[in-house]
Amino acid sequence: MQKRKRRLSIEVREAFSAYALLTPWLIGLGMFVLYPLTYSLYMSFQDVRITGDGMIMKPIGMLNYKNAFLLDNQFSASLVNYLKESLLIIPIIVLFALLVAILLNMKYPGKALFRAIFFLPVIFATGQVLTEIFYQGAAGLSILDQYNIKPYIQMNVPQVFAEPLLAVLDKFVIVLWYSGVQIIIILAGLQTISKPVYEAAGIDGASPWETFWKITLPALKPFILLNTIYTIVDLFTFPFSPILELIKHHMKYTGYGYASALGWIYFSIVFVVIMLVMLFFKRISRHSDNRR
Amino acid sequence: MDKVVWTQKKLFGTQEKTGWLTILVLYAILLNIAYLYLNPIFYMASTMLKNSVDLLDPSVRWIPRSFEWNNLKLAWQGLNYMSALKNSVMISGLGAIFHVIACALAGYAFAKFKFPGKTILFGLLILSFLIPPQTIVIPLFILIKNLGWMGTKFAIIGQAMFGHGIRGALFVIIFTQFFRTLPKELDEAARIDGAGSLRVLFQIIVPLAKPAILVVFLFSFIWHWNETYLTSLVIGAENTPLTLSLFNLQTVLQGLYESEADKMFNETIRMAASFLIIIPPLILYAIGQRWFVEGVERTGLIE
Repeated sequence: MQKRKRRLSIEVREAFSAYALLTPWLIGLGMFVLYPLTYSLYMSFQDVRITGDGMIMKPIGMLNYKNAFLLDNQFSASLVNYLKESLLIIPIIVLFALLVAILLNMKYPGKALFRAIFFLPVIFATGQVLTEIFYQGAAGLSILDQYNIKPYIQMNVPQVFAEPLLAVLDKFVIVLWYSGVQIIIILAGLQTISKPVYEAAGIDGASPWETFWKITLPALKPFILLNTIYTIVDLFTFPFSPILELIKHHMKYTGYGYASALGWIYFSIVFVVIMLVMLFFKRISRHSDNRR
Repeated sequence: MDKVVWTQKKLFGTQEKTGWLTILVLYAILLNIAYLYLNPIFYMASTMLKNSVDLLDPSVRWIPRSFEWNNLKLAWQGLNYMSALKNSVMISGLGAIFHVIACALAGYAFAKFKFPGKTILFGLLILSFLIPPQTIVIPLFILIKNLGWMGTKFAIIGQAMFGHGIRGALFVIIFTQFFRTLPKELDEAARIDGAGSLRVLFQIIVPLAKPAILVVFLFSFIWHWNETYLTSLVIGAENTPLTLSLFNLQTVLQGLYESEADKMFNETIRMAASFLIIIPPLILYAIGQRWFVEGVERTGLIE
């Protein structure tokens, strides 16, 4: 009996110190995440006016949401366009990061220098400065103009995808610039695969090609999932995102209520996309488990 | 062993050693990508030193005929460089330090302690990582106003103090994952020897956590440095950091020169200004680069 009581007190003490460590973060969670989140949800159902005495709110139900889809042709159009673009950009970034990380993980002279260069995007990719440079048109691939690829795409790809495809190609270098963190994640993932597994495969006569498909790729699966999620989150908070500008614009001119509604529509879409990706990966892993 | 197998091994490599042909292909790919990454930086460095004649002359691609240092001087003045630099360093430096402290504490709790409500809180952590800043920016704006932080550096640093703000959730996740990789025996042994929780944290865990601390510090510093969305809404004129100065410079320049030809000329000044802005983080990266790359590998970012 006494023993049990003592164990309990250790557990209580552990919980107590955990909460002590968490205190600053918990205060922040309430102040900077939960409060703004619920408040913006609340505001999205209101008509918010700013007067001399402060904000005046009038409940208007779903009107803001209705307007976003039915009246505001700019919002839904740019949202759909952006989603289409993202559909192309996400696989490009994830595959590119995978390729580069594997290359950076191999053994060859000059590896350290390449690593230093390849992490550069992490430093600049989020900045105003980069936008500045890419405004000057340094973002496209010069091959496109040299070989007249654009008209070719316009003629041969269905209209629905030709436009976003061209938009993606126009900022292809930016897309690659946004894979810095993803490269790091895959590199970190590669370190988790233990060396003896490769050695054993080598002794059994497996070629590097075979070991890649049979060992490296399966081990990287969780990291690829993580990368996909990170890319989605990153992409939807992209400084070039037209939606971001739109929300800022509406905050200034149309009102906080409407801007909040846009923000929530945006968040729900991001959330749904991430859930779909997780579901997709779950099905893939179940499929490969069955095969085994 | 016959000749064919031997050549094959030399060319394509084995598990232990990369072959010659593979290395050649590798270099071709890596150099191409490296060019894509460095191109904008070279472009910036070369454009900012061109005068208007060189700028219009298509035969002058990378190295201008004469160096126009005046562009840098104009950009320096236009950015109000010294005071903006001070603001940027203050916001990014303090923001990064606070992020390291607050996020490490939270990450340590998530990684090493059992407590009721852990699953829910971890779920909320993931949720706060997923929320696009634009969804909560309006209430945040009002909150900052009510706290009396509007226009001050606290508008940004204040959030970092509590482990939130710019990608705070990601940093907590990084620390959590890192601390999970440390063996539990480590702090158990110290605790048996009679050390309290805080002492274990500062004497055992912190020295081991250097790679994670470095990664978080550098990321946080740079993301604070580059942030413009929230900053443009909540930071006042006297606290303007460099990136916002660039915005202002653009507006000023647009007002000054309206014709197309003058716009071309603006480009050199804008490039010079951009260059001045990336120089400090570039230096920081050059210094921390070696440890950063190692740190990233050892952080084992996510399980």
